[in-house]
Amino acid sequence: MSAHHESILREPLITGDNITYAKITNDVLDPVENKPNKAWWIGFTIAAIGALIWVVAVSYTFWTGIGAWGLNKTVGWAWDITGFVWWVGIGHAGTLISAILLLFRQNWRNSINRSAEAMTIFAVICAATYVVSHMGRPWLAYFCLPLPNQFGSLWVNFNSPLIWDVFAISTYFSVSLVFWYTGLLPDIASIRDRATGLRRRIYSILSFGWNGSVKTWQRFESVSLILAGVSTPLVLSVHTIVSMDFATSLEPGWHTTIFPPYFVAGAIFSGFAMVQTLLLVVRKVMGFENYITMFHIESMNKIILVTGSIVGVAYLTEFFIAWYSGSEYEQYTFLNRFIGPYWWAGCMMYGCNVLMTQLMWFKKIRTSIPASWALSIVVNIGMWFERFVIIVISLHRDYIPSSWAMFYPTVVDAAVFIGSIGVFFTLFLLFLRVLPAIAMAEVKLLLKGASHQAKKKLIAENKVDPEQVQYYKQSLVKFDSVPEAETV
Amino acid sequence: MESNKKYWKGLEELHKEPAFVENSKNEFAEPLPLEEVLNEAGLSTVAPRRDFLKALGFGLGAVTLAACQSSPVQTSIPYLVKPEEVVPGIPNYYTSTYNGHGVLVKTREGRPIKIEGNPNCIISQGRVDAQTQASVLDLYDVSRLHDPVLNGQKASWQAVDQFVKSALSNAQAGGKNIRIVAKTINSPSTKAVIADFTAKFPNTKLVQVDPVSYTGIIQANQNSFGKAALPHYRFDLADVIVSFGADFLGTWISPVEFTRQYVSNRSWDALKTKKMSRHIQFESGMTLTGTNADARIAIKPSEEGIALLNLYTALGGAVSGGKTLANNAKADKAIMLAARELAAAKGRALVVSGSNDVSVQILVNSINSLLGSYGTTIDLDNASYQYAGNDAEFVELINEMKRGMVDAVFFINSNPAYDFVNPKEFTDALAKVKLRVSFADRKNETAAHCNVIAPANHYLEAWGDSNPLEGYYTLVQPTINPVYNTRTIEEGFLIWSDNAVKDYYQYVRNNWEKTVLAQTGKDWKGLLQTGSVSTGAKSGGAYAFNRELGSVAQTIVNKSNALAKGGDNVVELSLYQSVALRDGHNANNPWLQELPDPVSKVTWDNFVAINPIHAEKLGIVEFDLVTLKKGNLSITLPVLYQPGQAMGTVSVALGYGRTAAGKAGNEVGQNAYPFIDFVNGTFQGVAAVTLEKAGGARELAQTQTHHSFEGRNVVRETTLKDYLKDHYAGSGKKADHKKYDLWYDHENPGHNWVMAIDLNACTGCGACVVACNAENNIPVVGRDEVRRRREMHWIRIDRYYTFNEDGKTVTEEREIDDLKNMENVSVVHQPMLCQHCEHAPCETVCPVLATVHSTEGLNHMAYNRCVGTRYCANNCPYKVRRFNWFNYWNDSRFDNYMNNEFTQLVLNPDVTTRFRGVMEKCSMCIQRIQSGKLQAKLERRPVRDGEIQTACQQTCPGNAIIFGDVNDPKSAVAKALLSERTYYVLEEIGTQPGIGYQVKVRNTEAATAEA
Repeated sequence: MSAHHESILREPLITGDNITYAKITNDVLDPVENKPNKAWWIGFTIAAIGALIWVVAVSYTFWTGIGAWGLNKTVGWAWDITGFVWWVGIGHAGTLISAILLLFRQNWRNSINRSAEAMTIFAVICAATYVVSHMGRPWLAYFCLPLPNQFGSLWVNFNSPLIWDVFAISTYFSVSLVFWYTGLLPDIASIRDRATGLRRRIYSILSFGWNGSVKTWQRFESVSLILAGVSTPLVLSVHTIVSMDFATSLEPGWHTTIFPPYFVAGAIFSGFAMVQTLLLVVRKVMGFENYITMFHIESMNKIILVTGSIVGVAYLTEFFIAWYSGSEYEQYTFLNRFIGPYWWAGCMMYGCNVLMTQLMWFKKIRTSIPASWALSIVVNIGMWFERFVIIVISLHRDYIPSSWAMFYPTVVDAAVFIGSIGVFFTLFLLFLRVLPAIAMAEVKLLLKGASHQAKKKLIAENKVDPEQVQYYKQSLVKFDSVPEAETV
Repeated sequence: MESNKKYWKGLEELHKEPAFVENSKNEFAEPLPLEEVLNEAGLSTVAPRRDFLKALGFGLGAVTLAACQSSPVQTSIPYLVKPEEVVPGIPNYYTSTYNGHGVLVKTREGRPIKIEGNPNCIISQGRVDAQTQASVLDLYDVSRLHDPVLNGQKASWQAVDQFVKSALSNAQAGGKNIRIVAKTINSPSTKAVIADFTAKFPNTKLVQVDPVSYTGIIQANQNSFGKAALPHYRFDLADVIVSFGADFLGTWISPVEFTRQYVSNRSWDALKTKKMSRHIQFESGMTLTGTNADARIAIKPSEEGIALLNLYTALGGAVSGGKTLANNAKADKAIMLAARELAAAKGRALVVSGSNDVSVQILVNSINSLLGSYGTTIDLDNASYQYAGNDAEFVELINEMKRGMVDAVFFINSNPAYDFVNPKEFTDALAKVKLRVSFADRKNETAAHCNVIAPANHYLEAWGDSNPLEGYYTLVQPTINPVYNTRTIEEGFLIWSDNAVKDYYQYVRNNWEKTVLAQTGKDWKGLLQTGSVSTGAKSGGAYAFNRELGSVAQTIVNKSNALAKGGDNVVELSLYQSVALRDGHNANNPWLQELPDPVSKVTWDNFVAINPIHAEKLGIVEFDLVTLKKGNLSITLPVLYQPGQAMGTVSVALGYGRTAAGKAGNEVGQNAYPFIDFVNGTFQGVAAVTLEKAGGARELAQTQTHHSFEGRNVVRETTLKDYLKDHYAGSGKKADHKKYDLWYDHENPGHNWVMAIDLNACTGCGACVVACNAENNIPVVGRDEVRRRREMHWIRIDRYYTFNEDGKTVTEEREIDDLKNMENVSVVHQPMLCQHCEHAPCETVCPVLATVHSTEGLNHMAYNRCVGTRYCANNCPYKVRRFNWFNYWNDSRFDNYMNNEFTQLVLNPDVTTRFRGVMEKCSMCIQRIQSGKLQAKLERRPVRDGEIQTACQQTCPGNAIIFGDVNDPKSAVAKALLSERTYYVLEEIGTQPGIGYQVKVRNTEAATAEA
């Protein structure tokens, strides 16, 4: 957004030589305007098979009943709500990046916000499918909406956190969608301008008549700011409310006041991990190395480290409070995570989320692409286990020992989960084909101020302190992907 | 007021204008254009071709479409001519009798749908067991024969009668024997019919044989006192009860009656008078009775006789052959202490043994005689006729058949091809009989070998009677026309013997009017209303035991030595009846199959129960398949860890392994009857067998898989000593602390329905579970679903083990794993159902308000509103909510229950069936509350206390459950909840449950406890 000159001390947000506005457009629109390559087709085929598995698994569940899953009288939620919370959590990075980082004028967000927002929307869609499919009678899902009805005073239960969920998720989804789409408008217009025939007509309609006038840009900026303001509380509220599904209940292990901040931190944690998982691949396959640089990767890793540590502190707090509460049920629940029959799940949760992310303290690891990618996967797994542990380990042994039971997933459970990943990737891969994966317009804003080119130019013109130039050069050496040091 | 109001149609009428007046004289005020119509186009119109084709096309199309719809065939008949006594929606109750227990049969629109105890019955006193509750389902069983069968073909009754008659006259002419094999018959009319039949065919003999036999006791009484009968035991009069393997609360002779007697000395009323009986149980397997004992000592079957000999000696009896239980010092000591307690309670003591060994029972008689039990706790004058089988007679019959001396044999409720020790020997012998008639209601194992199956009516379709106790007669009356083409057994005999009276109703009535009614001066109609007649108890004579016990002792010692022969992998097997299935005759009843065994909580299977420590020594893990072998016999069953099982022993339930019971009962478990031994004239259920791992495993379907309560105070107990010192001991109620509450209180201005459950009165028998099944249309889900922990029972009985080691009680999982001894366990049963919390956690979380609070203190469930998020079940601390994972009552995968039009007739029309995806739970029988309130309203009076009973409460043999309105301070439940023993489960989390439990009190203070 801002086009002012950036300090030479800051690492460049766009690397590479001879970057022009046109080159950015060409680079970014390359996958949109050309036939997909083999890698895309392979990825899409696998994802589509996954999506098909989801369709089959969910249809089977609808046809026969929730009994197709491994749930029982004691464990009423397991992989379904685990999957739901996991996806909602993943859906948190997008809005955080687009809204909060925008308000804080973190320009590095410009390169990653588009994909992250798309990911948010697709993740929330995946989460929403669980909301409906976990119901015993999904055809009556509309009962959960406060619709006027012929029964007079038959209303939803505003005391129920599930109702809060309905509002929170739907609000979050619609605001995210609007924000994402608004941001897309100038880029769609770019595609329109370069397209012909039917494509041109379609993109023309999708661009809402964007004409690039100053007034349009000015309105665009204002709307973006307003939407950022609207979304910011949502980033915090959605997972707060999701956490209240558990926090307001009576179950030991759920009934915890620390849940809202703990869940929000966890959501951002897992969201950034997923952004990392996706963008590290996209960047390589699509050749976006100049726009998504090591600086971006490292910044995201830092966020993962911080939020992961917050989550770690929350875990410790939970254990302390369980001990301090003196409640035998509470104490047993937390002990049960390590000594119960699901001890391995507990170890996965604490190991992946707390121990593994601490590796990010090492700059070597933080700036290594393979390590970052591997750790992002570890975090994704760890966060899935966190929800599994909270939901299943708490439920399976609660107050009355006679009802203690084990949960064993069925094939359908697994198919619905794997299928939802398929749905997610199908949507994401389609997105890469039809819409620009990087917000071109916003990246272009950075070209004049925050790019390596601009900084090189400043150095060439001797407008900066040599000491600072030295620092800048040194910092470039640390980058692995673009050998910039030589070009200065 | 003006009564003849005039309305005018217009101003013309009001003002009576002349034209109007003129016109009004005509029938039609204005002339009709008839002429025009008739003269003009009206009649002479020629239908244009197009119109004709249009009409034709439409007509054809409409008719075709109409023909496409297959209109449903309505088989129900509306009450155009309504039977006088049937009011749709209002149940009728009829008295009848099941298994000697007086019952009330609830019928709705002509369908029997529920069985309840008849309060007039002196045996059941309005309480019935699980079998009786479940018996109504058998009526609609599709596995029953729909027609008689002759030589394997469906036949008419005439053909059957002709065939049987000619075969009988041939037998008669050939001088061959005719035999009637029956499970104990105590029906006076049936006996009379058989007597008439015998008069016509003098070669006839009735052979009574029970799958689980009590011949031992009967013959011991013959031997000791010259009276071959089962005595009437009076547990209510016994202050000290010592039982050797007799499961008198679960299966032994008359468990419902014994439970009532037993509990009357231990629960509410007894404790109010600061008294409680003392119960010591010596047994090998953990029985329901053992779980309730104050002291339970595990002994091997081989030690039982010796223990009794030692007890006899300790009580001052003189007998040679007694020896110490060398390997069981604990039992040895316990016997001495039990003797001391028994001796101190002479005249108020009772010793019983579950053995069917005549010698053992003679010894028990001698002990009871020493204790002065005859005339007090044992009533031999008013004998029980519930069992009268004679094992030796049946074995002799088989020999007769083998020798070809029998030409005709009839089987009444008897299925030896399944439950005889050697089915092959029996069927081979049977093949030599020309006429083989089975009255089985299905083609069961024996009927399959018969040339005639004359399917008997279910008892709800038949007339009959019963004489379960001396001087006590009850009537069986039908409540529905036969569902299938079946016939009362006795009617067959009447026809075949050309009896003057061929209508069995008339026969029963004549018989009663001749005998009992004449004797008591009562009339038939009155009898139909009360259901039973008691001619009064005979006064007791003294029975002195004065026999030499030398040979008895020798037999016992020999048998003990034979059993304890030892060897590699040799274990002592004791066979028992499971509380749910008993002898297995009703194995096709899915309610009973799914009723968890009160001790093991296993459904749909039998198993080898073994002590976990013993299993560990043998290298066996729970659910491993093991093979038990005795000679050529072997069965392979999964292993169940059974704490309290005596080391070196295993127990296997009889009644399983049916092969021709029907859809639900076939191939459930394995048949253990062949392991029974025929020794010294009786069938005995103990044997030395070898135990081997068979390889593989089979998971048992248990409704409870965690067996200890982890030291949590959900179960609270105390000892009699502590209770007498401080009535609040155990309940912790005295420490009244301030209550904090986040929620507004509900107002319950009218009624406030609550419940009190006395843990001291609950024996854990499970009758309530089946009663609830029947009342509330609770689906049966089958073995696989139970394995997945999805049983639907609204009420369950939680059973917890507490291990006692070195004077310490152990309840926590980790400590239990380290135990070296698992013989010493105490058990508690806790009925658990929806607690109807005032601040119900389920209510706040339901997104659609499908579960809400009523103004009468109930937690309602609106099935139609439920979308099935299961949040309520997750948030229920008591885990009593049940989710319909599938459409259990109408899904072909759950074929052993309701998936047919017959069985659906048992559904209670007052309770809706639940669709899949819907949550359900105990409603405290809201339909009963409603009808009780309506009745009171009709009669313009307040609801009376005790008038409304929940199904579980109604059937509870121990009277452990009291339901009522706590707003009425005089109600029984309000008084019960005031008890010092009352506590609420998980009261500390603020749910304010509506069900108060009374602390379990154990009488462990006497010396045996320290043994």
